Parts: sequence; structure tokens; C-alpha cells
Amino acid sequence: MKRVILTRLAWTLGILLGVSFVAFVLMRALPGDFAIAATGAQSVAPEVLEGIRRQLGLDRPLIEQYVIWLGKALTGDFGVSFVTRQPVAGTVFDRFIVTFQLALIAAIMSIVMGSITGLASARLRGATDWIVRMVNGVMLAVPNYIVATLIVLLVGLYFPQFAILGYTPFLSDPVGNIAGLLLPALALSLAVSVTVSENIRAAVLEVANQDFVMVARAKGLRRGAVLRDYLIRNALTPVVTATGLKVAALLGGSILVETIFAIPGMGQYLYESINSRDYPVIQAIILLTAAIVVLVNMLVDIAYARIDARVRL
Amino acid sequence: MSDAARENVDIVAPAAKRRQFFLNGGHILLGLGGVMLAIVILTALFAPLIAPYDASATSPESLAPPSAAHWLGTDSIGRDVLSRMIVGGRTTLLITFSAVFLALVAGLILGLLSGYLGGLVDEIIMRALDIVFAFPVFLLALTVVAAIGPTIPNLILTIAIVYTPAMARVVRAPVLSVKQWDHVEAARSVGMSETRIVLRHVLPMVASPILVNTSLTLAQTIFTITALSFLGLGPPPPDPNWGGMVSESRQFMELAPMTVVGPAAAIVFATLTFIVLANGLRETLDVGN
Repeated sequence: MKRVILTRLAWTLGILLGVSFVAFVLMRALPGDFAIAATGAQSVAPEVLEGIRRQLGLDRPLIEQYVIWLGKALTGDFGVSFVTRQPVAGTVFDRFIVTFQLALIAAIMSIVMGSITGLASARLRGATDWIVRMVNGVMLAVPNYIVATLIVLLVGLYFPQFAILGYTPFLSDPVGNIAGLLLPALALSLAVSVTVSENIRAAVLEVANQDFVMVARAKGLRRGAVLRDYLIRNALTPVVTATGLKVAALLGGSILVETIFAIPGMGQYLYESINSRDYPVIQAIILLTAAIVVLVNMLVDIAYARIDARVRL
Repeated sequence: MSDAARENVDIVAPAAKRRQFFLNGGHILLGLGGVMLAIVILTALFAPLIAPYDASATSPESLAPPSAAHWLGTDSIGRDVLSRMIVGGRTTLLITFSAVFLALVAGLILGLLSGYLGGLVDEIIMRALDIVFAFPVFLLALTVVAAIGPTIPNLILTIAIVYTPAMARVVRAPVLSVKQWDHVEAARSVGMSETRIVLRHVLPMVASPILVNTSLTLAQTIFTITALSFLGLGPPPPDPNWGGMVSESRQFMELAPMTVVGPAAAIVFATLTFIVLANGLRETLDVGN
């Protein structure tokens, strides 16, 4: 087990290094001058520009720039925003907390919805199964930004008294904070809940046919006990995995959902920064997001190896 | 190493793969998907003939409600929503099909090379793709398009790049086992060239999962391209496109809901087409068993 974790960890570090290089090069490959963007002005005197280039280290070789940037990034220094002139790390962290909250609520919602529909589908079979799978198939086809837009439209048409846009900080009003995130999280969670639902259905059906379940039933265990201790327990593994692997979808989708619901999260900040060409912020958010995806994938793999002895990493 | 882990995961939960999607009766699904695909493609091809109005022609009646003259009403500068919806499919589908075609070609080349040659080539290709894989698809597409500018060729290229790693993996996995089969060995023993073996004896055996995945990628690509357009990074005006229509009309949607619901329905229909098709293919081709 220890060896498994260590090799996985080493591998993850390698990927992270590659990811950081891509995040860095992507921003340097942009058309338009990095130094001009840094001043925030349209036209700059050549001498001034030269000064900025030297100050930002843009006159050095690319690899050297990368190493310097990475070294600073590792100590939490992502530079200064071109727009606000504030350190990037602090702002991105505040925004990240908001996105984390949104993604967490969305993940919980998709697990709850997915588990209920998946279990119902697998246990009741027949018409329930058919309806659940039909609805799942259609839900998979509705993009999250359309769900979000339609939610805003319907609330605006039929419940204009509710203000659903914007964000309430957790510390000033915890209930209002969570209540305000419910609708955006719903938009984000529908497609993920389909994955959970289909996985749990498949897992329960698979386990239900195994000998040990038949033995449990034959020795007279109650249906509830068989369901809880044999079926759900074994079905949990694929559910955890499926949800874990969907973290990329949640983070990617948060860009759209946060923009629509005016939630000041990391996704919305990325979109704003792309529009204002705030390169240090874009770099930091890309790196942070990819790092989260890589780390979650690593944890899922390790969890899998821990649960299932057949898995070799 | 991570791939080894993933393959083992597949062995642990094959059922999850096998019964992942709704409805049985693959042929019904395939037929339904075929009809839907025909509707989508024919509408796009003959859009100028079908559309009742010129999609870019403005008129003084802005945000008109649905009527006999304008079935879905008009948008904020008086353009017919239904006509824009019909014509808008052209740009959206052009980008979708071109991008997925490129991703398929790139994925086939990388996946076949990686899976068939194995060894160092495999390691290098797969590790490089792992890095691209670490970025959420939409985030990567958004950043790259913003960087290189949202023109139609750039959109096609970007989307092709972000979907190539997944495609390469789907190609590579079955190649790993097929290359050890007897008929490949037999072909080699009679002195067939490696290229010919790959094209004639390996590729046909791995075609089914690739076909299913291509259909699913088409569905995902419609999401990505329309979402980019929704954020204002889609194909440039004045030609309409579905995602752009939803985005333009969003601020007026409480006055004229159809301006948003119409293009949204088109996006859902096109996406559903490829999901139904993928499920039909999966069932009839017996992928995953």
C-alpha cells in the first residue's frame, strides 16, 4: 500500500510539473505583448516598455522565466494582477472558497439525486427503471448553462419577488449563503447526477446477482438489511469514483454557472480575467484548477487500490 | 502507470460500462438516432431553403411574440427567431463535425502508434496526453480560444485539441489486446508490413468502441462550442449560431422567452441525437462486453 501511494505521488508530481509548464507557456504564447498588457494601457513608450520587460524578466530565456515563475508560484507568489494591482494569490484564494462551496453543494446534490434514482431504477425495475433511464438520457443532453439560464428565466417570469442572482458571504448570513447557492448548484449537478445514477444502478444490478447476496437472502436476512449491508456497501465504490472523476466537469461548469448567477467565484473571475487580459490571474487559476483535478484523480486511484485488493497501481 | 491503474479499474467494474445508458433495444435507438441525425443534417444543409425569412434581415417589430408570421417571434432587432435557429445550425454543426473529425484522425494516429508500438513511444505519447487531460476540457478550450481569437478555424482547431487525448485513449485500450491475437501474428508471419497489419487487421477490430466514442464526442462538442459562443467566444457575427443566440437574447428573455427557448431546444435536440446514436451503436455493436 505504501509503495502504491509513493509511486502514485511521484507520478502526480510529474504531471503537475507538466501542467505548470503548459499553464506558463499558454500565457506567453498569446498574441499581443505581455508587457503592454501589464501596463494596462493601449500604447506605451518604447523605453517604458523596455523597463517593464526587464522588471518582469521578459528579456530572459523562456525556460529561465518558467523556473523563476514556478519557484515563486510554489511559495504562493503568483505575481500582481494587471488590473487591480493586488497580489493574485489572495484574490484567487477568496474566489476559490466560493467555487469550492458551490462545487461541494453540487456534488452532494448529485450524489443524493443520483443514488435515489439509481437505487430506485435497479431495485424497482420495470416502469421506474425505464422512466429513470429515459430522464437520465435527456438530462445528459441539456447543457448546464442552459439549465441555469432556464432557471433564471422561470424564476424571473413566475417568482419575480425572489432575487436569485448574486452571492451572500457565509460569515454574514450562513443560511442565506447556502440558500443562494442551491439553484446554481442544481444547474451544475444535473449532468453529474446522471453519471452517479447510472453507475449506482449498474453496480447494484451487478452485486445483486452474486452468490453472497443470494446466501444472505437465503439465510433469512430482511430485505432492508440486504440492501444496506450488501448492495449499497458494494455499490459505493463506483459512486465515489464516478463523483471524484467528475470534479473536472464541476470546475469547468462553474465558469458558466457562476457567470450566469453572478457568483463571485473562481470560474467567473477566470472569465473576467480573460476579457481584461489579466494574464497572471489566468495563469494562477488554470494551474490551481488543473492541480485540483490531478490531486483528486490521485486520491480516487489510491482509494480504489485501498478498497479493492485486485487493483495494482 | 496511471493507465495501468485505469485499465484495472475497468476490469473491476465492467458492469458500470456495460449498462451505462438508458433503454435497451439497440436497433430502436439506432433507428431513432438515425432519423434525428437526418433531421439535424438536412435542416442544416437546406437551411436557406427552409428558413421562412433571411436570418440576418432586421425589421421594426422587435421582440414580437410568436405569431403565424413569426412562429417563434422575433429577437431584439426584429430578426425572425425560427429562421435564425434553422440557419444557426450550420455554423454550429460545421465546427462540431470538423473538430471531431480532426480529433478522430489525431486520436487514431496517436492511439494506434501508442497501443501497437508500445514501449517508449507509448510512454511518451500517453504521458503527454495525461498532461492535457489534467485540464478541464471547457477551461482549456476557453483559454486557448481567448488566446488565439475566436475565428471558425481557431475554434475547430482548439476543440479538436481538447478532445484528442480522450479519443487516443479509447483507440489505444483495445489495440493493446488485439495486437496479441492470432490473426495479427499470422499476418506478421506471412510477411505483411506493419502499416498494413495495423490498417487491415487491427483497426477493423477496434472500430466499434471508436465509433461509439465519436458519437459521444460529437454530443460533448456541441456543448463546448455552444458554451463558448454563449460566453461571447463563438464564431464571429453576423451569421447566427445557437450558443450566440441564447447569449444575445438572455437579457430580453423575460420579455420574449422564445428567443432563448428556441435555440436552447435546438442545442438539446442536436446533443440528444448523438447521445441516442451512441447508445444505439453501443447496444448493437455490443461494445463493452
